Amino acid sequence: MGALGRPRRMVWADLCPLLGGVGLALFLVSAFTPLSNLLSRPMGGPSALEPAEAIVVLGGGVMPNGVLSNSSMRRALHGILLHRKGLAPLLVFFGPVRDSGPAEAEVRAELARALGVAPRVILAAAEPRTTREEALRGSVLLQAKGVQRILLVTDAYHMRRARTAFEQAGFEVLAAPTHDLSSGVFRPGERLALMRRVVEERLARLYYGLAGYL
Amino acid sequence: MGQLLIPVLVGVTSMAAYLVGAKGLRLSHGCIHKAVRRMLDCLGVTLIFLGVNLGTAVIVILAARVLTREFLSLYLVADETLLVLSLIQALIFQGWRDLSGPNVSRP
Repeated sequence: MGALGRPRRMVWADLCPLLGGVGLALFLVSAFTPLSNLLSRPMGGPSALEPAEAIVVLGGGVMPNGVLSNSSMRRALHGILLHRKGLAPLLVFFGPVRDSGPAEAEVRAELARALGVAPRVILAAAEPRTTREEALRGSVLLQAKGVQRILLVTDAYHMRRARTAFEQAGFEVLAAPTHDLSSGVFRPGERLALMRRVVEERLARLYYGLAGYL
Repeated sequence: MGQLLIPVLVGVTSMAAYLVGAKGLRLSHGCIHKAVRRMLDCLGVTLIFLGVNLGTAVIVILAARVLTREFLSLYLVADETLLVLSLIQALIFQGWRDLSGPNVSRP
């Protein structure tokens, strides 16, 4: 044990402070430098706001009491505005039930009706729970109506993965991200939140790649 | 200017803490680097716990998707609570190592 234990102890004794130092350095760089802005910029890509056959708004989360998450509300309003600008005749909302309460898609459809969108042009699909499921369900819902060219509405850092999933489902996708990542964020807390989104999205892309979805 | 507020604030309070420790409490100046190393050690253990917790959670979620009809989102693991709980696990683990005497592995 002594002969074998000593090197193992040294490795442990050196590994933890080294790991801690790397973690601390990453934290400081993420919070106090523009690294998260630089890493997030390639994820969004430019908007392509051109006429399409449908506007597809991806799910972003709803609370059990029916209040949309910030992301969900931002996406829904962006989709409604694009429709009001006449960019596409159909408006599709995704979003499942979270734990309990109303489905996100239904809450958003209700919001659109309240803001003057005609009920006959709204489609609400609450079954899909992931981006890939949204793409597959979208192909069933829309390609039966002859829709090929869609305006895809989601957060900018989610757009690349979502766009690929919808293209693989057979759509011609025009990106309509809810915001522009090029302006960046500057407060330490905002930079950390953005870095977290960047890491989450990169891990999600890795998972989709390993699962053969991309 | 606003971006510098937090670093400057922490710098000033750290200097104040150093003065209180060195002058008021007469703490050893030479022990500061050991304290920094111990902090890094604890941070490293926190990251190990965090990695193990995240990895286990992902395996459990994917297994639940395969073995049951229950759908659990992978975003569930992206919760700040896990970081705080990992820190608590690390502090307890480090305290345990400290209190268990000099024969256990210590930096």
